[in-house]
This record gives sequence, structure tokens and C-alpha cells, in this order.
Amino acid sequence: MSSDALRRELDALSAEYRSRLPAKLAEIHALWFDLASGAIPAARVIDLRRELHSIAGSAKTFGVAAVGEIAAAAESLLDPFWQHGALPEPAGRAELTRLIDALQRAAATV
Amino acid sequence: MVLKNPFIAFEHDVYALTRQGQEELRGGGTSLSAADLELLVRADGRATVAQIAASMQALPAQAVAQACVRLARAGLLDLATNLQDDSLDFTDFFSDKPRAAPSQEELARAKAEASTGVSSLKEQGYYVCIARRRILPHLPAIGGGRSAIVVEDDPQLGALLKACLESEGFSVRLAANRNEVLSALREPPLPDIVLLDVVLPDIDGFDVLLRMRQHQALKSVAVVMVTSQATREAVLKGLARGAEGYITKPVEPATLIKAVLAVLGVQEGPRVK
Repeated sequence: MSSDALRRELDALSAEYRSRLPAKLAEIHALWFDLASGAIPAARVIDLRRELHSIAGSAKTFGVAAVGEIAAAAESLLDPFWQHGALPEPAGRAELTRLIDALQRAAATV
Repeated sequence: MVLKNPFIAFEHDVYALTRQGQEELRGGGTSLSAADLELLVRADGRATVAQIAASMQALPAQAVAQACVRLARAGLLDLATNLQDDSLDFTDFFSDKPRAAPSQEELARAKAEASTGVSSLKEQGYYVCIARRRILPHLPAIGGGRSAIVVEDDPQLGALLKACLESEGFSVRLAANRNEVLSALREPPLPDIVLLDVVLPDIDGFDVLLRMRQHQALKSVAVVMVTSQATREAVLKGLARGAEGYITKPVEPATLIKAVLAVLGVQEGPRVK
């Protein structure tokens, strides 16, 4: 594969990633809403942490650095809790809600 | 399993090193000829007798076959299929059996490397320790290209890593979870390199690394961790468990390609800036 062909493939992957990002972030938003409202067990926080971790690692790679940084901040907020299947205290939850809302706003500008 | 007779060689037969053969290559005092040593190196469990002959100039397949039989009689080679059950048994790969922790020596070395590695991470965005655990020199597979396994649960990121490796001639198998990792490792040929994410849905990449290093057939396969985890502790964990490289996300294609080729000792430059 030539460098031009690789560059074109990487550009196409980047475009595909960006097009799928809003739906992915909507899933994260819904997951957090269900967790915070008690609609699903707190143990599912492990899924939320993994989704945030995935976005934190991939968004910067595909040129959406702002989304990656917000996701990384949200992930680190969950760090003391997710292994115990617990949610943050109320102040932490409010901050997480703010970050997850910010994720969706950032995605809207992609 | 029915063992085939290794003392009758055909052109399509595939030979591999026995444990004694591996020790012969590692030892410094071998009395084998240069041609026999080259044959031992090229009998990688993937190349057929005919492919080895084609790669060793001016040697007919018949002569290579005879040499394979001679080295098999000396206990240094066997048919790959005869060794397979011993080396490619994945029954316990993900079992919950206790696994040995890294030795104190490995930990001490990893600590020193992690300290310089984290500095390198900050300065260059990646850290590579070239083939410190590889025993045999890297040789491109005969009759075929290099192969790799990419373990990554983000589909777009997995596709990006795959594209980068394919641009350098690798054939790539993707795996995103525990079962897919097992399937990819079982599928021949053995990979030249594994790019390994840490946070996966149902398995920890560091655990996969440790189990590879304790597996007869996989312990010398190069592994590069590709992860968002860039703390000194994480780098230390990867190196202590035997990773040859450690690359942090976000992934920069040119850096990734450069690191992979450096780990494999391939003298090619990255094509993407």
C-alpha cells in the first residue's frame, strides 16, 4: 500500500469515526442517565468507564482532541469508584453530568 | 495424536525446532556447520522444505530434505505437526490457574526501563525496548509476508492499526475480546507481532501478555502495548511482563509503524508523516 493510499484510508476511517461519534456519545449519555437515576445497577459503572476510556483513547487519534480530553476527565473522575461497582458522591455525580453534557456539545461541533 | 515419521521428508513437509534444537541455537558452542545453523533458523514451523530450499541459494529441495532428516535424527528438528500439541495447546490459556509473577530480576530491569521509558513517552509520545526477550533473530516468513494480531475493542481504532500494518506488508488478524483473542492466536501462522490494548471488555491486556509469555509457542512473539495508560506503573507492568514496546494513545500512524519495525529489527522507514 502506498503512503497516499494509506493516507486516504486513514482519512476515510477518521470520517467514519466522526460520523459515528454523536450516536456513541448519546449511548454514553443514556447509560449515565440510567446509572444516576438508579434504573440500572450501579455495577454497570464498569461499562460507563470502559466506554469513556475508549473515547478518550480514540478521539484524539481521529482528530477530535476536545472530545478525548473531556472523556479522559470523566474517566478519571470514575477511577476511585468503578472497580467497586460504586458511583461517585453527589458532587462527583454533578461534575460527571456536566462532563457528559459537555461531551455531547463537543460532538455537535465535530 | 498420530505422530508422523520425521525421518522421511517431503517437499511440502514443515519442520520446527525441538527443545534441543532451540538450546543448540542459543548455546555459544555449537559444532554445526553454518548451513545447518541457517536451516535451524529457517525451520520456523511455517516454511515448507521447498520454501526453505528456495530461500537458501543453490540448494535443491532434495538436499534440504536430507539435511532436515539428518537434523531430525540428531534430535534438533521434528515435523511441526508432531510438536504442535505440545506448543500450541491453548486449553489453559485463559484458565484461572495461578500464574507465576515476574521474577525479581525482571522487575528490577523493568523499573529502570520504565523510568527512562516514561521520560521518553513525555518527550516522543512512545517508548520502545527493542526485542529484549527475543532469542532467535527475526526472519521474515518464507513464502509469505509478516503477520500480526491487533487486539483492540474500538472498531475504528482497530481498523486504523490494521491499515498501518497492512501498509508495511503485514497480514493482520483483529481481535476485540477474550474469545477473539484466543481464536486469533490459534489461527496459523503464529504472528510476528501482537499489538495489545489493555482495557478490553472481558479481559485485561496485561493478563493476555503474561499468559503469552508463559506459553510455549507464544513466548517469543513480539508484543507492543498500545494503550491510553501512560503512568509509570502501567509502563512498568507492561515491561515487567515482557512487552517489547509500549505506545500510548492517541496513536500516531508514523510513530506506530516506526516502533513496530524497530521492535522487529526491520530496516524500513515509516511512510506516513
